[in-house]
Amino acid sequence: MSQATAEPRVRPPLVTTGRQRRWLHGDQLFRGLAVASGVLLLLVSAIFLLALFIPALPSITRFGLPFLWGRDWDAVHLRFGALPFIYGTVVTSAIGMLIAFPVGLGAALFLAEESRLNWIRAPLSFAVELLAGIPSVVIGLWALFILTPIMRDDVEPFLNHLFGFLPFFQPPFSGTSFLTAGIVLAIMVLPILIALSRDVIRAVPRSLQEASLALGATRAETTWSVVLPYARVGITGAVLLALGRALGETIAVTMVIGNTPQITSRLFAQGYTLASVIANEFTEAVGPILQGVLFEIGLVLVLITIVVNVIARLMVWQFTKPEGR
Amino acid sequence: MKRAILAMVPAVGILLAACGSTSNTPASSPAAGFTIPTPPAANLIGAGSTFDYPFFNAAFYAYNQKFSDVTVNYQSIGSGGGIQQLTKKTVDFGASDVPLKTSEADAMGGADAVVQIPVTLGAVSLAYNLQGVGNGQLKLTPDLIAGIFLGSITTWNDPAITAVNSGLSLPSQPINVVHRSDASGTTYIFTDYLSNVSPEWKTKIGVGKSVSWKTGGGQKGNEAVAAYIKQTPGAIGYVELAYVVQTNMTQARLKNADGNFVLPSAAGATAAAAAKPNVTPTDFSIVNAPGKDSAPIAGYSWAMLYKDQTDKTKGQATVDLLYWLISPDGQQYAANLNYAKLPDNIAKADVATLKTVTSGGTALLTVS
Repeated sequence: MSQATAEPRVRPPLVTTGRQRRWLHGDQLFRGLAVASGVLLLLVSAIFLLALFIPALPSITRFGLPFLWGRDWDAVHLRFGALPFIYGTVVTSAIGMLIAFPVGLGAALFLAEESRLNWIRAPLSFAVELLAGIPSVVIGLWALFILTPIMRDDVEPFLNHLFGFLPFFQPPFSGTSFLTAGIVLAIMVLPILIALSRDVIRAVPRSLQEASLALGATRAETTWSVVLPYARVGITGAVLLALGRALGETIAVTMVIGNTPQITSRLFAQGYTLASVIANEFTEAVGPILQGVLFEIGLVLVLITIVVNVIARLMVWQFTKPEGR
Repeated sequence: MKRAILAMVPAVGILLAACGSTSNTPASSPAAGFTIPTPPAANLIGAGSTFDYPFFNAAFYAYNQKFSDVTVNYQSIGSGGGIQQLTKKTVDFGASDVPLKTSEADAMGGADAVVQIPVTLGAVSLAYNLQGVGNGQLKLTPDLIAGIFLGSITTWNDPAITAVNSGLSLPSQPINVVHRSDASGTTYIFTDYLSNVSPEWKTKIGVGKSVSWKTGGGQKGNEAVAAYIKQTPGAIGYVELAYVVQTNMTQARLKNADGNFVLPSAAGATAAAAAKPNVTPTDFSIVNAPGKDSAPIAGYSWAMLYKDQTDKTKGQATVDLLYWLISPDGQQYAANLNYAKLPDNIAKADVATLKTVTSGGTALLTVS
């Protein structure tokens, strides 16, 4: 994708006829529009950041940098810190992606490859699109009423039984927890992950796969060493989009995470995320300090998303460079 | 949630009424001491407290039936939102579970520029989920409530709890505390109560719509707290009385200031309110009120509007509406939905306050 810009621009031949002149004008017009669209997008991003930054100023000047690693959240005594929320956001998104990535990639490979079992492919594709269309508040309701009791009574005790020697799986079992929120996020990002990865994998040239098979590779070997490397950039893009949704998901997470600002290695404990605290506190946040704190939380969330994106892109470059494609 | 559904019924009614094109039949129904004036035609907008919403929705629908020229659009965006909208003068009146703070009043031009009146009253219950312990069987004292929510009492068969509940067999289950995660007036009333009865709470945590909890998890809204309690064995949380009654939750008897164990009720809230004759926007707390029937955790909800109304017609209509709302005619809609009725003395004080609202120097409320 990015190579395209590096290629020399092909210009139409020098003007001779009126018809060609019209084409040239059209070309310039199109170029202008494209540049304007790009600039507009940059401008919107800048305005957006500024619109978060200005209302956040009262909080930034009052609490300074320690806001980022503060652990208090006390609206009565006006002591605020963002660390438990940053922790909750990162941990729940990480759990979500850890679960969703293997499942999503597997489903995408299955959907993209043509083979037997065609009868199940259509319903599966339909289910993916259906899942993508469910509003997050509905998923939240389902999670609160159905998933939470199952997590508390079955899943968490079972995990504790299996992996009780690890600090992550210590009781008490609460149902509303980092883990439950992570599972809900996994469910919510799966459709994006599957749909995008499927299309990328489908775009892998048939000839490459046939060449690999002709050389004697099995289907699994072909998938592993031809299809996946070719589709890696696209799959990373899908993961980034999914991660973006996981980091910012609000209402479904708010319903199952327990809304308790704390930092603990126990995945069964109740936590809090940046997006949830904004949703919870905003309606009653009156005055510049309280509102400023919430805007600063929003700013932190945007910054985290940017940082995560940059890290992921660096990783992609690192992976793709040696192959010289 | 059930409450929201109930509240939607009148909304459907409005549509039906609109189809029937009722003619304008202003009628001043005589209610004890109140003569309902006929308001001028106006479309009023209010915003604020979600707590008030079911009451306002039912009452404003009835008002529109009575005076079809007046429509009221109330947006339940939260007390803080209502205060902000009123500050920006985008609404005709605001509603809040807590009166304006000094800084908030200053933003509106000072405490003298705004009129604030209590319009309804609610009680807060402690609902729990304990196998074999029915509604009203668990008894809680102020010390126990503070201990549970401070995290110093952590199991149901703690000696402090069993000492008060001698007849009950309480399990050795951990206490699963749940509180509101969203900033809310219900939390304000509950923490106001705890600060009143527990010096430790007052110094460690304090009073607020959103506080720094020492134990337990948070759920967003009365509905989610109620749902969490219903499906979590050993859970306890504070929930608005109306939700408890309408969803048949089990709630504790609470020891009030007179030493009686009372089941929180609308009548109990009214009794608590009656124990404090003078309520002002700066002195309004009625938690832990004296009186043998008083519900210990109760509080007012307030309507607020500017004292000097720039639009005379709208000002007139707003004042007439609020006057009707606090009259027995309007208050009956509160009682139907498990809100508590305003005591007579408070309603009288409200009328006196409403009479100070003016437009161009003349008072808008002209009833005797």
